[in-house]
This record gives sequence, C-alpha cells and structure tokens, in this order.
Amino acid sequence: MDKLSEEKLFKALMIASLAVVVGSLFVVVAVIVWNGAPALSLSMITQTPKGGYYLGKEGGILNAIVGSLYLAFGSLILALMISLPAALSLQKDYIGKTKAAYYIRLSLDVLWGTPSIVYGAFGFIIMLYLGMRASLLGGIIVLTILQLPIMIRSMEEVIKMVPADLKEASYTLGATRFETTALVVVKQALPGIVTGVILSFGRGIGDAASILFTAGYTDSLPRSLFDPVASLPLAIFFQLGTPFPEVQARAYASALVLLIIVLALSIASRALSKRFMKNIIR
Amino acid sequence: MNFRRLKDAFAGRLMLAAAVFSSVLVFIVAIALYLRSEPILEVKSLGELLLGSAWLPSQSIFGFYPFILGTVIVTALAMVFAIPLSILSAVYLAEYANERLKSIVLPLIDLLAGIPPVVFGVFGVLAVVPLVAGIAPLFKDSGIPFLNGGGYATGYSVLAGGIVLAIMVFPIIISISYEVFKAVPFEVREASLSLGATRWQTIKHAVIRTALPGIAAAVILGFSRAIGETMAVLMVVGNVVKIPSSIFDSTYPLTALIANNYGEMMSIPLYDSALLLAALILMLIILFSTLGARLILVRIERRMHG
Amino acid sequence: MSHITIQNLSAFYGDHHALRDITVEIPEKLITAIIGPSGCGKSTLLKCFNRLIDLTDGARVSGKIIVGNMDVLNGGTDVTDVRRRMGLLPQKPNPLPMSIYDNVAYGPRLHGVKEKKKLDEIVEKYLKIGGLWDEVRDRLKSPASKLSIGQQQRLCLARGLAVEPEIILCDEPTSALDPVSSQHIEQQLLKLKNDYTIVIVTHNIHQAMRLADYVIHLYLGELVEHGPANEVLENPKEERTRAYINGTFLADVKADQEINLKGNMCPYNFVYAKQALHALEKGKILKLIVDDPTAVTEVPRGMEAGGHEVVSVRQQNKTDWEIIIRKKS
Repeated sequence: MDKLSEEKLFKALMIASLAVVVGSLFVVVAVIVWNGAPALSLSMITQTPKGGYYLGKEGGILNAIVGSLYLAFGSLILALMISLPAALSLQKDYIGKTKAAYYIRLSLDVLWGTPSIVYGAFGFIIMLYLGMRASLLGGIIVLTILQLPIMIRSMEEVIKMVPADLKEASYTLGATRFETTALVVVKQALPGIVTGVILSFGRGIGDAASILFTAGYTDSLPRSLFDPVASLPLAIFFQLGTPFPEVQARAYASALVLLIIVLALSIASRALSKRFMKNIIR
Repeated sequence: MNFRRLKDAFAGRLMLAAAVFSSVLVFIVAIALYLRSEPILEVKSLGELLLGSAWLPSQSIFGFYPFILGTVIVTALAMVFAIPLSILSAVYLAEYANERLKSIVLPLIDLLAGIPPVVFGVFGVLAVVPLVAGIAPLFKDSGIPFLNGGGYATGYSVLAGGIVLAIMVFPIIISISYEVFKAVPFEVREASLSLGATRWQTIKHAVIRTALPGIAAAVILGFSRAIGETMAVLMVVGNVVKIPSSIFDSTYPLTALIANNYGEMMSIPLYDSALLLAALILMLIILFSTLGARLILVRIERRMHG
Repeated sequence: MSHITIQNLSAFYGDHHALRDITVEIPEKLITAIIGPSGCGKSTLLKCFNRLIDLTDGARVSGKIIVGNMDVLNGGTDVTDVRRRMGLLPQKPNPLPMSIYDNVAYGPRLHGVKEKKKLDEIVEKYLKIGGLWDEVRDRLKSPASKLSIGQQQRLCLARGLAVEPEIILCDEPTSALDPVSSQHIEQQLLKLKNDYTIVIVTHNIHQAMRLADYVIHLYLGELVEHGPANEVLENPKEERTRAYINGTFLADVKADQEINLKGNMCPYNFVYAKQALHALEKGKILKLIVDDPTAVTEVPRGMEAGGHEVVSVRQQNKTDWEIIIRKKS
C-alpha cells in the first residue's frame, strides 16, 4: 500500500471512530428519550409513590427527585467547604511546591479513581461502627468523599492558571497571603471553580453505587437528616427490577428525568461560567 | 495589623488541614476495609479465596475466581472496543480537526462523560441487551473461540457489559490522550515533515511514539474507571455465578457481587468480610493502576517543563 | 536626605549572583533612576525593596535595606507593612479582577477603611492624582480589564497611591505603553515627586534624562556609578557608564563581525566569542547574539577580564541578547 492510500485509510478510520463516539452519545440520549418520554407525566414528578406504586398503581417519583436534590446539595456544600481551602492550599504560595503537595495530589488521584461501590462499602462499615442506620446524612457524607477529589483537583487546575502578576499586584498593596487568596485568586478563578462545582454536582446526583447502602430508600420525603432518603438513580434501578412493564416504563421515564437534570447542569455550567467572566483579567 | 497576620496564619493552617484531611481519606478507607476483611483472611488462605470457583456463602465457601474473571473479561472486552476507537478519535481531534469541529465535539464528549452510570445501565437494558440477543444466534456453533454457543442467549452478557463500559470510558481515554497529543512539541512533527514524510507517517512514527507513555496513562485511567464501574455493568451482565465460555454468556463481576449482596451479608458469618475483601481487592487494583498512570503523566510533565 | 539606605546588598537566584554587594543611598522626595542594560539586576534591586523577591523560587538576599527606621530585610519586619509603604508601578499594568472602583479601594479596605463615604473620597482623590478620574467617573463599577492599556497603567498608579505609600517604585513603567500614554505617566510622576520618593527602573536613557534627579548605574549586578543626574549622565566618571550611555545613544554600533551563538551554553559561547575576537584586528568591533542567560553576564565579564571593552549589552527580544565588544589587546 502506498503512503497516500494508507493516509486515506487511516483518516477514514479516524473519522469513523469519532462518528461512533459522538454517535454513541446521541444514541444513548435518543434511546432514553424514546422510551422515557411516553411514560413521563406531570404526576410522575409531582407525586410521591402511592400504595401499590411498584405494582403499577398511582403515584410518582417526587420522593426520589427531592431526595436526590437533598443528597446532591448537601454533599455539594460539605465538599465545597473542604475542597476550596484544600485546593487553595495547593497553590505555589502555600505548600504547592513541596514534596507533601506531591503526595497529597497523588492520594487524591487514587481517591478519584476509587470505585463508588468501594465508598459505599466503606460508608456502610463506618455507619455500622457508629450505630447509624441508612440515612440522608450517611448518603451525604459518602457522596462528599466521592466528590472531594474531583472538586479539589479540578479547582486546583484553574487556580494554578491565575497569573502570578495578579497576586504580585495584591502583595505590593500590602495584602497578606490569605487576603490575596480570598480576594484576588478566588475571584479570578471563579468561572473555573463554578464549572468544577457543577460537574461534581452532576457526579453526585447521578451516583448510585455509593448510596445503595448508606442512604437507604423510602417512599416518603425525608423529614430529618437521620431519615432514610430515596434517590433518582436507585428509583430507576428498583423500578427496572420489577416484573411489571408499566413500572419498568416509569424507570425509563425516571432515567429521562435524571438525564435532563444532568445535561441541564452541564449546559448551565458553561453559561454560568461565562457570566462570571465579567471581571476576569486575560 | 497583628490581627491580619493572625488571620493569615490561621487561615493557612485551616487550608492545609483541609488538604491533608482529604488526602488521608485514602488511607482511612483502605485501613477500614482491611480491618473488616481480616476475619476471612485469618481462616482462609488468599490462594483458596482468589482461585476457588465455588461460591456458597451459607456453607462458608467463598471462591472469588468467577467474579475476578468476570471483572477481568468484561473490562478487557470494553478496553478492546474503547482503545482503538478512542485513540483514533483523539488523533483526529488533535491532528486533523479544525477549531470549529473541536468546539462542537469536545463539549459533546464532556457531556457523554457526565451521564450517570445508571442511565447507561438503562440504555444497556433497552438497546444493547436486545441487540446482543439478536446477533448471538448468528454465531451459534461458529467455531470461533469465545463467540460460540450463543444459541439461547438472553443478551445479558459479557458482550453487553463490554459495549456499555466502552461507551463510558470513551470520554476518559479521548480527553486525556487528546491533551497528550497536544503536548507533543511541534519540533517533533517539523523534523519528520521536513524529511518528506506525509502527515499520517509523521503521526504514526513521530507523534504517537512520543505520546506513547501518555496514551498508556490514558488507557490505564480508562481501565480503572471500567473496572470499578458498578451499576451500569450490574444491570446488563446477567449476574450468574459461572465461568463464561463465550462473550454471549452471562457473568458476575466483583462490583456487582458487592452491590447485590450487601443487604443480606450481615446474616451469614464471614459473608461481610468476604464482600469487603472484594472491595479491598478493587481498591488495590485502582491504587496500583492510578499510581502507574500518574507516575507516567508526572514524568511527561517534567520532561515538558524541563 | 536619604530615604532608602542600602548596605552590602547581594542577591542570588540559585547559583546566579544577581546583585553584588550594592551600597548606595536613595534621596528623599526626588526621582532616582536606576539605569543599566536589561538583566543587570535593576528589577531585582526593586524587588528587594518591597521584598517581592520573597516570592521568587530559590532567591536569597543578604545585606541591609533601611527605610526610615524600618529594617526591610529583617525577618521580624511585617512584610505587609513594608509593601504598604512602597507603591509599585509594574512593567505591564496588572489590574485586579474587579471593578475600577474596587481596584483603587482594594488597598485602603485591606488597611482598615470600611466606610463607604470615606472610600468614595479616596477613590476619587487618587483617580484624580493618577489622571484618570475624568475618563472613568461615569463607569467606576465597570471591570478594570475593559480599560485601555494606558488607562490601566494610570489605574495601577492610582491604586498604588491609595495605600498612602512614602515611596513609589516604578519598574520600566512605560515599556508596554504607547508614546502618548507614556508621556501621561511621566507627567504624573513629575507632579508626584514633591510628595513622594520615586525610584524608577529604566533602560531608556532619554527617560532617565527627562525625569531623574539622581542616577544609579548598575552593570551585571554591580554598582558602577551613582550621583546627581546631570553629573552621571553628562559627565560620567566611569568608562562603563560612558559606554552604556553612548551605546544606547548610538542606535547601532557598526560591527566588523557578527556571530550568532544562540543555542550554545556557557562556557562554549565564551570560547567561540574569544576565537572570533582573536581573528579580528585591534580596535575592531564584534557583535555577539546569545540566548543563554548565564552568557549575558559571564561573556562580558570574561571579555573585560581579558582586557577588551564591552561597548553594550542589550536585550533584543524575549530570549536574545546582543553583546558588543571592542578588541583592545
């Protein structure tokens, strides 16, 4: 084969591969929409399950939607409270250049890769040890651990991009390290921080394996942090597991709801980060 | 003035504490899992556990072999699909695609990365499983190893798991190897092109060779995502404890084992210990593959920044 | 009266000796220009004053800098206090990622001014001193990044003055600006010298002549000459100062031979340069182009040690330097 036809062949292969990859996104979305849309109704997203729901009777998955939002927001806030300071301390101005920072990053990477089922198992052990039962709080804590490495590493990446002369400008005006960090670095990195937060929110709301044993499942809306709580991913999983086609159809509809939330978040993060760009120095 | 200095010092400590706490979590998780899986390691040898193929918890027989094999085979199949497709896509995006195409495709790949596992699972049940059930009979008695015996296939199979997982790891391998290709210095291409090589020859001989360690890291990270995936796989592989003889057979990966049996594990002695050992095994696999991938990536970064 | 007293100041970046035993005094409420070719340590000296050098990896400083009764380099001195007493006008304007108003109010807020009314007054006052007020009074809340480069530099001046420093440090403050904006900044500095001690780093002799009352000439990290501007600039005592001033006046010295040593490391570029010089007749001029930072200081030093005259050392662009040597022996 001469070199030009080889080039043609591989270029065609590459385009075909890219078409498969991008096509798979559209196929996934299309399959979920096609199967989920017919079963989706207003009552599905505004009602909690009534008696016999899992046999195909009346009701909806409001418990799961609300539960997932509680879990995702709760863990988001907790994770943000730890991640932002942690990411900021990995700046060059703090410990960023030290050996310790290298190991911290490394262990965060391991944490990132750890499967969510392992977190679920870990969370379960800890809750047994503390005598807790599956609850909103348990789910929030496990999801927090799941989100920490994602948030810290993605925030660190954007914080690293803050130009050194901006920090210098602040220092020359007599600002301390913390003032510079809180008033200038955070502000300049804000669009990236927002994107990172939203992405990890998406990961939190979509994860099922970690909350399988830690958050539990219930048909009612949670009243306190110590009540078990339903979640969308598990609602999908359980409904799909029933032998009734009507209930399975609701699982598809629930999957569509989850997909819409996640895609909306992803698109919102792009729009939002543009908004926060206003004051940014480029 | 003094108050500001105090605040500065205090905030610095607090930030450091947050970073240290987050990184220490790895050890806490690993130690907790180890302590809880110790009981079973005390009564059974590791070889017996890892190589035994019988799984009868009520009789205290715990052989992980079918599950480990299930995990390995589903993951391997996913990688067989994902590696060539992802790397060819990444090469195209990094070396051929114009800015317009990239500005459309890269966000789409990010979107794909954001879809929750359970949605992939539903997709698998709705589309991939019927597809596999449909094509399996075509290979009945085909004589090709691993493709035989699909006559009565339900579609819940190694192949379905492999396809779903492959779609899930596309974005990881593509985005990392895309960055790696972008990081290959222009001089490498220049040198090859100036010797009269075509663009593809340049990519094949110079760019890919330079980028090889980075591609390896991307593949390892994709692999670690695939091996730990639970819900999506659980929903499409059938969960039957046996050693699969073809890719149309059902299988039962480690992650699915943990997820499916957690509820009842407290009622049978040593059962919880066995399941937590499975979690520990998964975590150790992730630990080593992450360390390997990061070491490669760090070395590349060092080389780039002198 | 001297305002900044520098005693035996040395600075190192790793192994690189950037400042060598500098002892000099900077007079109060005058404009002092630090001149010399790029890479001679001018900016480093400035960074020692406000201890911005602390932020540079691997930098070490020894010696003493006394400002009033404050020992700047002493570890016990509050560095934020040092910096608040010295405003810095950077080479390239670096507005903070916030509105025009907040940029100016940033410093005063840090140092304890909370009242809105007081801040409004401060912002107006210093934007006026910076010569920017009339242009931005209607859009104080808009992002500073939206201003032109020249306006941004005046904003940086106003921002630096708003913390009420005694000293203004300027690091080649007009090198990134267009001629009109440069002139604007120079005029503001001349107005300010009644109230502030101003130190300006410049590689532009003309700018030094227009602005300076006092001149310090640094060359390869050493203090060559210092004194009142008219003496140093018009009648330098030192040969090297004269060479520098003349070198920058003559836009291009006609070189008899030119060699490009880019890509060579020390000491190879020095060896090649000597070989080239060896082939030339006495009095002829050799022009070298180097891109190794060590060569920029070490090649001229070696040439001077060999008895040759270093006519000029100039930075051509981001990486390349031009060294002109006249063969003497």
